[in-house]
Amino acid sequence: MSIKLFITLVSTPWPESATLYQPLKEDQILLSDCASSLAVQAYLRMCGLPVQVVCRANAEYMSPSGKIPFIHVGNQVVSELGPIVQFTKAKGNSLSDGLDDIQRAEMKAYMELVNNMLLTAELYIQWCDDATAAEISRPRYSSPYSWPLSNILAYQKQWEVRRKMNAVGWGGKTLEQVYEDVNQCCQALSQRLGTQPYFFNKQPTELDALVFGHLFTILTTRLTSTELAERIKSYSNLLSFCRRIEQTYFEDKSS
Amino acid sequence: MVWCSFGTMNCIINLDPLPMRGPELGVQPDDIEAPDIEHEPKQEVLENKNVVVQRVHIDGLGRTKDDVLTYEIAEVFQAKNLIDVMRRSHEARQKLLRLGIFRKVEVVIDTSRGEHALPNGLDVTFEVTELRRMTGSYNTMVGNNEGSMVLGLKLPNVLGRAEKMTFQFSYGTKETSYGLSFFKPQPGNFERNISLNVYKVTGQFPWSSLRETDRGVSGELSFPVWKTNQTLKWEGVWRELGCLARTASFAVREESGHSLKSSLSHSMVIDTRNSSILPRKGALMKIHQELAGYTGGDASFLKEDFEIQLNKTLFWDSVLSASLWGGLLLPIGDKPTNIADRFYLGGPTSIRGFSMYSMGPQSEGDYLGGEGYWAGGLHLYTPLPFRPGKGGFGDLFRTHFFLNAGNLCNLNYGEGPQAHLKKLAECIRWSYGVGVVLRLGNIARLELNYCIPMGVQSGDRICDGFQFGAGIRFL
Repeated sequence: MSIKLFITLVSTPWPESATLYQPLKEDQILLSDCASSLAVQAYLRMCGLPVQVVCRANAEYMSPSGKIPFIHVGNQVVSELGPIVQFTKAKGNSLSDGLDDIQRAEMKAYMELVNNMLLTAELYIQWCDDATAAEISRPRYSSPYSWPLSNILAYQKQWEVRRKMNAVGWGGKTLEQVYEDVNQCCQALSQRLGTQPYFFNKQPTELDALVFGHLFTILTTRLTSTELAERIKSYSNLLSFCRRIEQTYFEDKSS
Repeated sequence: MVWCSFGTMNCIINLDPLPMRGPELGVQPDDIEAPDIEHEPKQEVLENKNVVVQRVHIDGLGRTKDDVLTYEIAEVFQAKNLIDVMRRSHEARQKLLRLGIFRKVEVVIDTSRGEHALPNGLDVTFEVTELRRMTGSYNTMVGNNEGSMVLGLKLPNVLGRAEKMTFQFSYGTKETSYGLSFFKPQPGNFERNISLNVYKVTGQFPWSSLRETDRGVSGELSFPVWKTNQTLKWEGVWRELGCLARTASFAVREESGHSLKSSLSHSMVIDTRNSSILPRKGALMKIHQELAGYTGGDASFLKEDFEIQLNKTLFWDSVLSASLWGGLLLPIGDKPTNIADRFYLGGPTSIRGFSMYSMGPQSEGDYLGGEGYWAGGLHLYTPLPFRPGKGGFGDLFRTHFFLNAGNLCNLNYGEGPQAHLKKLAECIRWSYGVGVVLRLGNIARLELNYCIPMGVQSGDRICDGFQFGAGIRFL
């Protein structure tokens, strides 16, 4: 996550033509990318910054860091939620200004938890579970390309993700263990949320956007099994949290 | 040089250049035997004596198979007199050398011996030395912020019928590339050949802030038809494009990613020039077309380009040369053209006075290439003033006066050809100047020119004043 992009930033207002790029929605995008993209979209909506969503088959390769999503604002290109939050902050829009230092540290910790647990679990299920990889991930990932390039790119991505899983120590885990990890993560989130509307009481922050992005996508994406969604559904306050954010910020969104 | 022996007299005949009138007889001191009285009359009738070539054979073959060579030496049998024998032997020797499998070929013409020997029979023997099975080369190259190690392996005559396999591997600090190629000529018809290649090449194009990695296979079939050389080729390439720097324009960023091109192409070449670098006479016409998309892959287009060059020697050892290039890229279907397929123009090898490929459609300083172009050049090559180093080093240099013009743009295919011609004819860039050309072997040339670019459009990058160029193909 490079911050070098913002060093020479001039304070220009948010342009109308700001665009967010992600892979093709219908046929190509995978669970993890969809979750990340939705998190960024939720965050920008919470900030009141309009952005157009454009789908491109080569969005992953267009991104400067190789990760989805990225936004094109003026002549700046910024990818991933962390740098985008910094970017909007430099432009004067921030959701976490009202937090004190302890709360900010807590927020960062929970965001790390979501990234290390939920996002990694999503990647594991997509690429390390053979059934999901063969039925869903590889066909979808390679859908814009013709044979034999489709096979080459799909397997290349699979090997890359599996190597990464080994590097973070998830290589030896079973699917059950992964589901259990997700469960524990949701439990922590649910406890922190309690009965509040948002994680830090009245106002949504980037943590809310991130959690919403992941949970909502998991709930609404069809996988080979519904176990993952079931684990989340067992926490009712998380469900109502997702519904609340969807209704508040996305009700004009056509599905 | 040829050894001949007639009767008891040995003589040396020089075949390069061909003698105009009869052989010149020289004598080796250690081979003189007692002179024969018959020597003189034989000497006089050597030219006109009818001979029959009874045997032609090749000595020194190792792994080369015979059947390939019989075609090359077959003509020698038809010689009717001694001069003819020598001429045909010389031609056969050239044919054997062009196969690329022998290091040395020597011809020995002798009278026939043995039971079936005719009184006017001749035996022609080609003494050959085959090339080694494998030759390797190792170079290191240092270029723009990059060092690399290049390893080359060449296996001539792999299976005995003049097949050639080459392998090149380049390992650099930034990029790695390799290429493997297999070449097989048709026995008896060397100009008809097949070539298969597998390669990975990487290129960096700073004028477009683009990095391209191509991994591909290709198969090529070449054959001569009348005076032309035709080539049919199928190529499958996996292309990976990326931005060269963070500051790349968004238009180039949008082209990043992977694509697969599977294309059939045909090219026709007629080349009557006496040399490919600084020719003095002759003409070149090259027409090339490529159709992609009908054999698979993502890219779908029809690409045409041509190259014409005419040369004429004028008074006082000067040469007038005119050349014309042009090309057109037609996308098929609704996908727009890919930056890797478009044409680029400008630079010391095309329109001098402009920076390398820095002409035409661009976005934020990155040149995106165009779908149609034409370029023309008019040159007058003269020897260096006062001809320093004449007869030696100085002959490699020429002065040239040039006039280049051209245009590169995108075409809107909704409009007709009239609109296209009009578009290519407006906003013409052109330049003129003078410079010095150095010829490097028969492959490349170096140029140092003083250029004055004109007709510069906004967005073009120029290089007026002195410009240095090195390359193989110049406008």
